[in-house]
Amino acid sequence: MLKGSLNKLGNAVVLLVAVLVLNFTLIHIAPGDPVEAIVGEMGGATPEMIEQMRAQYGLDQPFIVQIGTYLGNVLTGDLGMSTYYGQPVTQLIWDRIGATMLLVITALMTAMIIGTVLGVFSAQKRRSILSHFVTVIALAGFSAPVFWVGIMLILLLSVSIPLLPISGMTSATSEAGGIAHVLDVLHHLILPALTLATIYLAFYSRLARASMLEVLGSDYVRTARAKGMPQRLVIYKHALRNAILPVVTFAGLQFGQLISGAVLVETVFAWPGLGTLAFESILRRDTPTLLGILFFSSMMVVVMNVLTDLVYRIIDPRIKAR
Amino acid sequence: MRLTQARSLTRFVSAAVVATVAVASTAQAQGTMTSYTSGFRSLNPAVQSGAATGAPGSQIFAGLVSVGEDYAIEPYLAESWEVSEDNLTVTFDLVDGATFHDGEPITSEDVKFSFETVAANHPFGQAMFGKISSIETPDDDTVVVHLSEPTPSLMVSLQPMLMPVIPQHIYGDGQEVKSHPRNMENVIGSGPFKVSENNPAERLVLVKNEDFFIEGKPKLDRIVYPLVKDPLTRMLMLEKGEVEYAGFAGIRPTDWPRLERADGVNVTTDGYDAIGYVHYLELNLREKPFSDLKVRQALAHAIDTDFLAKVIFGGKTAAGTGPLHTGNPFYTAEVAMYEPDMELAAKLLDEAGYPVGDDGTRFSFVLDVPSWAPQAHVPMAEYTQAQLAKLDIDVELRRAPDFGTWVKRIAAWDYDATMNGSFNYPDPTIGVHRHFDCDNIKNVIWSNTQGYCNPEMDKLLDAASVETDPEARKALYADIQKLAQDDLALIYMPQDFSVTVYRDNVKGLPASPFGGLAPMVDVYIEE
Repeated sequence: MLKGSLNKLGNAVVLLVAVLVLNFTLIHIAPGDPVEAIVGEMGGATPEMIEQMRAQYGLDQPFIVQIGTYLGNVLTGDLGMSTYYGQPVTQLIWDRIGATMLLVITALMTAMIIGTVLGVFSAQKRRSILSHFVTVIALAGFSAPVFWVGIMLILLLSVSIPLLPISGMTSATSEAGGIAHVLDVLHHLILPALTLATIYLAFYSRLARASMLEVLGSDYVRTARAKGMPQRLVIYKHALRNAILPVVTFAGLQFGQLISGAVLVETVFAWPGLGTLAFESILRRDTPTLLGILFFSSMMVVVMNVLTDLVYRIIDPRIKAR
Repeated sequence: MRLTQARSLTRFVSAAVVATVAVASTAQAQGTMTSYTSGFRSLNPAVQSGAATGAPGSQIFAGLVSVGEDYAIEPYLAESWEVSEDNLTVTFDLVDGATFHDGEPITSEDVKFSFETVAANHPFGQAMFGKISSIETPDDDTVVVHLSEPTPSLMVSLQPMLMPVIPQHIYGDGQEVKSHPRNMENVIGSGPFKVSENNPAERLVLVKNEDFFIEGKPKLDRIVYPLVKDPLTRMLMLEKGEVEYAGFAGIRPTDWPRLERADGVNVTTDGYDAIGYVHYLELNLREKPFSDLKVRQALAHAIDTDFLAKVIFGGKTAAGTGPLHTGNPFYTAEVAMYEPDMELAAKLLDEAGYPVGDDGTRFSFVLDVPSWAPQAHVPMAEYTQAQLAKLDIDVELRRAPDFGTWVKRIAAWDYDATMNGSFNYPDPTIGVHRHFDCDNIKNVIWSNTQGYCNPEMDKLLDAASVETDPEARKALYADIQKLAQDDLALIYMPQDFSVTVYRDNVKGLPASPFGGLAPMVDVYIEE
């Protein structure tokens, strides 16, 4: 098992380096560079100023030197300086990861729990109204664009019924600290988390329903039922444990992709997270920041894969043997 | 940096765990004005132009003068000034006892340093202050500026947005000022408001400078700029009244009526004269067919800027008549206008040697559509495409995915035609000359990228930049506008899509042509 883990780790490192090289090259090939974006934002510049800025960001160097320097820096834990903000990229990521985590974990947990419960219920009573309802909701959530859901929820819950704030993570004018600050953040969290959860919910309820149906049709469940086991025990003790594996796999995958999942929701709600930062870095050609976030998210994928593996072993002891 | 770190999850979790007693300050609403920002990379207008920096920047930093109604130059950090007979020396007398936000005195050395920093680092530094030959500081309160030539644009350039007085003891430490860390962190200014929190992910908070050099001002306690970029979210916040004041609101002209109907919300296009946003169709004049004046005339006859302004933009914009914005003091409407006439346009194209070919078209070209003002450029481009199709000209629209892609093409002169637009800025020497000067044909965006060169135009531009008599200068600019329209160096589209949205209870907004980019010392929120 240890050998297997080491192997995986080795693979992961190779993969990360490959991802870095690929990302760097792709961004380099794309037209436009950070200096042009900055000059655009300034409303123009003299050729001398442009030259000077290019030199400052090392963009006057040949490609091979640029990528070599970058890889070397990453190995020492330095992700470079943002060309837009002039701050270290690690700092920028660190400043925003909390907001994204809070949003995504809340949404994911909500979606996973509610989705699984709904899925399991509807699998048990396949022809009930509830089951049809879940299917319809899942389909709608699955196909509705996330920003549209966001705007509709804003219209419903902040404009028509003014319960929740429209955007941001805190009230713009709030100076509060302590409990008041926590409540303020939670108040702002509801809408974006709900929006994001709606999308995830569709995945989970369908996934849980499908895999529950499959498990319920298997031999050992029939055996358990034949033994005269109560329905509840059959479902929650025997079937659910197996049926939940795909759900965990999926959650692991989504955790890894938490940044991409949140981009649109963060933009609509002006949530100060990594998703918005990634999106803006693309528009601003802020190469170091974009590369940093991509690197960070590929690390997340690797880490989540390992964690998912561990969770498997807890849920399904048979996996240990492999 | 400490502030940004303090917020986010760290603050959230620690607060939740420690559960300290809430110090909820809910009674602070009285003098707080909420606005919004689309984000900025620097708060120092000396090294970064544009409204995103300029709007808060003009509150954080003071200038030597401020510009009032009808471009009246008013004393600000300079109590008074004296211009010599030959217009080559200006002596400024600074306000006594003015201090920076950290308590250090504002001296003539700081003013000199600011001049030099702007001249060397601001994109328009050379256009504004290139003719300053030397600056003397005989004592702490006196600044003497020597000019190599008369510079009629000097005074209007000295308000805080273009020439903020910045502290030498902070920015003069030898670091590159353009990327100086103190442009974003712990910013020490000289103006009516101090930075109390700058978290680029969330919000910027300015608070009243209690030691401001004008007694009893500013009136507001705080200005808060949360970061809001999504246009729909902005719209909803404005409608709901979550925002008291939004300059450069970024709202589509077609959404204005909806906002005007909302309770207590006002929409105005006032306050953008000094910025003077003009839009135009830029044709690459180096190559056929656009090198031919007749072709350009045909296009001008086919594109009805008045129709665009009145119908497509719902009468919320003005027709474009030339390089100057209608609110510019040098503006003239007496220029050649190309009446909408499709037959004449077709005739001109025939004469120019572009008859309808065997494939049913005269010629085809690619029209680039930049990404930075889609609410203006997309309708303009689509209208142009439809109009030119009637003349059997095949136009392919190419929408830029992002800013960098578009800039690269235009700055490399690698394009047929593009929708474009730029700011006049308060004086034409800053924002207008750059598009017409033969010497400014450069691989730089918003220079003379179309490649226009007319020696007669150069002569007029040179004369206008040193003419100190306002009437004579106005006559020169009238000639410049006429010539620009005769040569059709650029084909003008409806101008000005900037709008300010504010609530009824916001009083005392600056009457300056700079609008929201002027110091907001008299603004207050009425109970």
